[in-house]
Amino acid sequence: MGTTEQRTTGRGGISVDGVTRSFGTVQAVRGMTFEAPPGAVTALIGPNGSGKTTLLLMLASLLAPDSGSIRIGGADPLQDPVAVRRSVGWMPDTLGVWDSLTATEILVTMGKLYGMVPDAAAQRAGELLAEVRLSDFADKPARVFSRGQQQRLSLARALIHDPAVLLLDEPASGLDPGSRVELRLLLRPLAAAGKTILVSSHVLSELDEMADRAVFVSGGQTVKTQSLDDVGTQLRWYAVSARDTGALLRALEAQGLAAAVGEGTRRSHVRVQLGGEEQAAEVLGYLVESGVGVCAFAPASGALEETYMSLEGEKP
Amino acid sequence: MSTALSPQSTPSPGLGYFKGIGTVFGLEMKQRLRSRGWYILLGVWFVVIGLVAAFTAWVTDQQTDAGQVLFELMVAFVLLFALLVAPALSANAVNGDRAAGTLAVLQVTLLRPGQLLAGKWLASWVASLGFLAASVPFLLWALALGGVDPAIAAVSILMLGVELGVVCALGVAVSTLANRPLFSIVVTYMLVALLSIGTVIAFGLSTPLVRGTVEANVPQWKGSAYLQPSGAEAEFTCMGPLFETDVYHTDRTAWLLAANPFVVLADALPYSEDNLSGGPLEGIGQAVRYAQAGAAASGPECINGEPRADDVPASLFPIWPLGLTVQFAGAALALVLAWRRLRTPARRLAAGTRIA
Repeated sequence: MGTTEQRTTGRGGISVDGVTRSFGTVQAVRGMTFEAPPGAVTALIGPNGSGKTTLLLMLASLLAPDSGSIRIGGADPLQDPVAVRRSVGWMPDTLGVWDSLTATEILVTMGKLYGMVPDAAAQRAGELLAEVRLSDFADKPARVFSRGQQQRLSLARALIHDPAVLLLDEPASGLDPGSRVELRLLLRPLAAAGKTILVSSHVLSELDEMADRAVFVSGGQTVKTQSLDDVGTQLRWYAVSARDTGALLRALEAQGLAAAVGEGTRRSHVRVQLGGEEQAAEVLGYLVESGVGVCAFAPASGALEETYMSLEGEKP
Repeated sequence: MSTALSPQSTPSPGLGYFKGIGTVFGLEMKQRLRSRGWYILLGVWFVVIGLVAAFTAWVTDQQTDAGQVLFELMVAFVLLFALLVAPALSANAVNGDRAAGTLAVLQVTLLRPGQLLAGKWLASWVASLGFLAASVPFLLWALALGGVDPAIAAVSILMLGVELGVVCALGVAVSTLANRPLFSIVVTYMLVALLSIGTVIAFGLSTPLVRGTVEANVPQWKGSAYLQPSGAEAEFTCMGPLFETDVYHTDRTAWLLAANPFVVLADALPYSEDNLSGGPLEGIGQAVRYAQAGAAASGPECINGEPRADDVPASLFPIWPLGLTVQFAGAALALVLAWRRLRTPARRLAAGTRIA
């Protein structure tokens, strides 16, 4: 793995600075600025239509930005698209497959288009198909693939030329829970090997487990960048259930905490806002000792969802 | 960690220009050869051409030059049907991929727009040539009847292939420029119609513009000379007073016909002038030559008191090189526009286009 270090550090990550792009009168990207460092999974989070896909198209060197600058491993997609394309693997949100080609043929064709010799492309295709658990389908035409299988094939396609940068547009949509776990298990080692991974999604629960950093976009702008290491000190809502809800409320109020009975869920619980993991541990300890019969104590939502919802609330 | 996820040691070399074209060509051909539609079309084509051949053979059975006439009819039919099939095979090459979401997948590779267009054009051309190949048995049947100059047969098939290539190039280019496959196929049919029918209509409508007058008088035939076959020296003298009569200087508008695929094909065939068979392509070729000659060959028999030459002047240039030049230039222009559209990173997108 000695060569890995040199190659990835030499290529660096993604740097986006003040990028805008409009289509006619529609301003799809109004001003995005963020960094995605190598060796980490960066999540790009935002509602539908917030400009995530347009940004990824610009990063993949398909679209030119109207203004602003993009550097991928130090290369500008406008000046040197070939260098960018060599180092970028792009998994689009629209699943395009050549229906009549087999999985192996698709991967080998893509490998050849990246300049690989056929033998090397075929070997790499076999390895990748094993990696995404499609070996049994290696010689089946892509039209018989389920949506999840097509997603996995699409991921293998993005990896065929061993890119230093991976751009994944909604990679988990349409995947069953088991496949999502697999996707995570697939991406974490890639990040650990020094690759830059940018994942766009609005399925926040999956990103909670997968991402190291999150970039929130809304209305075509980057509105917040968050490292998931900060989560421990973040102000968060917790959901607490006890055998005696009334006693629980009284115990929390005795601590000076504003608590309210949560609504909108099947089981009755109490919502309380706590300032980080340390306070959460203290409160839990107190509640257990006070004998209200705590049976559940957990963050009300994922860390990213918390931020996402707070941003949604700020929208005009 | 598994081997597949660990980086390879050497970065790949670049993508050679012809290797890129070859890979796109291979990708396209695999898809075409595996689609049932192509085989169904081929089957229908084979049956239709076979029926036309059988019917034509039956009709021309009694003629002296049956082989030549049948061959020319077959070539004309093959050209007609090929012009109908080629747009369908080529004019969804790029926007069909765009609709299926596979175009952008190609564009993010090291592939360049020229390689993409060239590969797709070659594949659609080869697919069209398959139809030409399916007609070869019937052309051989006509050849077997005898009387066909091998040079004419060879040039016919060559020009059929060239015309298919031109239409496929137009189709691929239009499919890049138009967003929807249906629209680009219709536009390509319109372009084919413009070449095949539009040129004839333009020529016809333009004839009043080239109307002129000459001083003519009447021929006085020597004995029964007018009954003799043409080709010999005029056997008459011009008599009587001169009077003005209308002629059409079609020599000034004949170029309008040049880009017509049928004219290009017919005009390129190497006939021997003294052994005409009356086949349809030969007829087209002769008609174009008369149009090129204008009043000098088809006006009144006596002009300015002198007998006019009865035949088309041998000094006329063949018109098919001009026609091919016009066709190539048009296809090249369309391909250049298509190439500009395929360049990435893209700055301008047509309204409603999603690049992925």
